[in-house]
Amino acid sequence: MDNTNIVEFHNVTFCYDADEGEQQPEPAIRDFTFNVKKGEFVAVLGHNGSGKSTVAKLSNSILIPNEGKVLVKGMDTADEDLSYEIRKTVGVVFQNPDNQIVASIVEEDVAFGPENLGLPREEIRKRVDDSLKAVGMYEYRHHEPHKLSGGQKQRVAIAGIIAMRPECIFLDEPTAMLDPKGRKEVMDTVIKLNKEYGMSVVFITHFMEEAVLADRVAVIDNSRLLLEGTPKEVFKQEDLLRSVGLDIPQITNLAREMKKSGVKVDDSVLTLNEFVENITALLGDK
Amino acid sequence: MAILETQNLTYKYSVGTPFEKVAIEDISISVEKGDFIGIIGHTGSGKSTLVQHLNGLLKPTSGTILLDGNDIHSDKNFTRQARFKVGLCFQYPEYQLFENTVYEDIAFGPKNMKLSKEEIKERVLRAAEFVGVRNDMLQKSPFDLSGGEKRRVAIAGVMAMQPEILILDEPSAGLDPKGRKVISEMIEQYRKNTGSTVIVVSHSMEDVAESADKVLVMNKGKVEYFASVDEVFSNAEHLVEIGLNVPEITKVFLALKKQGYDVRTDIYSVNEAKAELLRLFKERGVLA
Amino acid sequence: MIKDITIGQYFPGTSPIHKLDPRMKIVLTFIYIIFIFLCRNFVAMGAMALLLLATVLMSKISPKLIWKSVKPIFLIVLITSALQLLYNSDGTVLFEWKRLHITTGGVYMAIFTTARIVVLVIASSMLTYTTSPTLLTDAIERLFSPLKVIKINVHSIAMMMTIALRFIPTLIDEVDKIMSAQKSRGADFETGSLIKRGKAMIPIFIPLFINSFRRAYELAFAMDCRCYQGGDGRTRLKVMKLAARDYASLGILVLFCVGIIVSNHYLTAVI
Repeated sequence: MDNTNIVEFHNVTFCYDADEGEQQPEPAIRDFTFNVKKGEFVAVLGHNGSGKSTVAKLSNSILIPNEGKVLVKGMDTADEDLSYEIRKTVGVVFQNPDNQIVASIVEEDVAFGPENLGLPREEIRKRVDDSLKAVGMYEYRHHEPHKLSGGQKQRVAIAGIIAMRPECIFLDEPTAMLDPKGRKEVMDTVIKLNKEYGMSVVFITHFMEEAVLADRVAVIDNSRLLLEGTPKEVFKQEDLLRSVGLDIPQITNLAREMKKSGVKVDDSVLTLNEFVENITALLGDK
Repeated sequence: MAILETQNLTYKYSVGTPFEKVAIEDISISVEKGDFIGIIGHTGSGKSTLVQHLNGLLKPTSGTILLDGNDIHSDKNFTRQARFKVGLCFQYPEYQLFENTVYEDIAFGPKNMKLSKEEIKERVLRAAEFVGVRNDMLQKSPFDLSGGEKRRVAIAGVMAMQPEILILDEPSAGLDPKGRKVISEMIEQYRKNTGSTVIVVSHSMEDVAESADKVLVMNKGKVEYFASVDEVFSNAEHLVEIGLNVPEITKVFLALKKQGYDVRTDIYSVNEAKAELLRLFKERGVLA
Repeated sequence: MIKDITIGQYFPGTSPIHKLDPRMKIVLTFIYIIFIFLCRNFVAMGAMALLLLATVLMSKISPKLIWKSVKPIFLIVLITSALQLLYNSDGTVLFEWKRLHITTGGVYMAIFTTARIVVLVIASSMLTYTTSPTLLTDAIERLFSPLKVIKINVHSIAMMMTIALRFIPTLIDEVDKIMSAQKSRGADFETGSLIKRGKAMIPIFIPLFINSFRRAYELAFAMDCRCYQGGDGRTRLKVMKLAARDYASLGILVLFCVGIIVSNHYLTAVI
């Protein structure tokens, strides 16, 4: 990870347009300042309606801030002439995989982005194959998307984005509609993209167990950035998180309870493995 | 006597074509009045197909479904009545809202039951109360509500039929922790107040473990277990094997056991986990 | 149920017919249909029917499916044949009863028109049976791209068709699900007058429309994210290339067409 920022949000405020005859709604995101570094894996946590999904759409000029600025490698998303370059740099994957797949054959769908970029045929072929292999869907390249499972469809959608070779991807609750198996498939894929391919990832979610795997966690509540830090720093703030309708991982909860009972366990653990190691170290020989 | 019973229920898709596929096979279960049952299984295990049989929506390829001791498909009228006695709320029910107002949408079921206007009103107001839909929301368009509110209105639409058995297919799918909590408290409240039988379908043990008294585990179209929550959890290792998600807490004990520690593995709540770990620490004299 | 509806059904295969360039298949079908209308005698029609039969056999599409494609037009065939039998008074009288005359001319015409309709339907089903919808749309886009000159945006039309094809199964699933959900709330789609049944569809169509708009909206975002800017400057993963078999099949069809023109000149016309 180096220190260059790929995406920078500078005091961004965004408000959706009011429906006819309705009052102007409250801003979806308010005075939001946030950076994504090269190669970083950031989780954005927040409950439904907190404004976290708006962040994804602001990142690649699908939405333009009312106030403040979003810069993608220095390019201002408000500049329409740059939107093509910006979208090549930052890809977005949405919640419902069904509504992101354009073509009736997996490989044709993955080719959609590269085709739009006007790449030569051989290059498209290579990118389609590479992307499908990266998400583990290469064997399904001739399948029809509607016959795949939710997790598989979402991986096809991710392949469709990475075939454009972006430097950063925002995933807007990509696991919310999936079953536990699909969730794991998507999570493993995203981690692989980050660790093996060095892609910057912004993972928007409301599952605590997914957020603990990130390098950094940002918590959004009521349209504002509430907290930011490493998972350990963020999940220390149990009371604050609970007050905004979020939770701490079950494991962390158990560790805290154990500590209260006088066991000298590390109560900042976030994952199963950490906790079990901790316990076995304390227990000593079997 | 069981309020609802299935006998050797089998359902096949696309019978007589090359695409024929068994969705559920030889399912015999019985549901007693007042039961709170969780049905779990991963996608494609047949759990959704099973519940669509319980209100007569799907007709089994073979086997029978008995509601209050009568065959649900014995005559057309009874099948129709079964829809009202067994209320089934589908996954993502908010995508089936259609009326102009929240009130009208909740009233759709009771209206189809041909009840009197007063009776319909009473039921709508009662159902709205169960799901925490305020009175001032009743005249709003359901499409102006937030995602969580829509979900609750849609569930109220099924509750308003005042079914003897309420079945909810993944009622908290896609919701955040707070939303999930609201839904499960709502179901608990409904159960306490009406004494109804409730069946909740889920992917995950975590969702049903704390509330249900009995769990039906489906795997590859068949019943893997149908027993109390504790009994099912005593097979936690097998649950993981068949690809089910058990709570992280349970995984702690599975991992400890694997490393040779003598611990219980039928644990799924923080309190129980704490007690069991403390026992272990005390036993080894690590903790004074 | 609703899932049994099949629109533009495609049956994958590896036969020479499946492998023909889809653009060529469209052109061949088009020429074939025109020349079916130019057939004026039984010899020509018979020859064209045999050519079609050979194509069907080569494609290995089961006769059952061919029958399925013809079945829906059975009534139309029956009515046109009846009309020909009753109102055509050419040739010698075969049967007479009160004001009803059945003549040889009528019988010939009935057989000829039946053959024409059946052959037309089978020929067009062969096109959709052996070509995937995606390839078909692609081929249409490429064939008609010269229309750009007269400001018809063929790419947009093809894109819309592609998306429509992609969403048909999704929407069919959705209708199924909404229907089951409303039935669970006691909705009744099976009994009552036509008006009542029509009204019963409201709880299905309103959510379906609303959900479709939502899908369209989300899809538009997703397409934007993938740098979609219309057809200009777009390249394609798959290129279409005419092979020897494409030219050969065109050659055979042209031969038959010449034959038809010649036969029209020498043989007496039925029509």
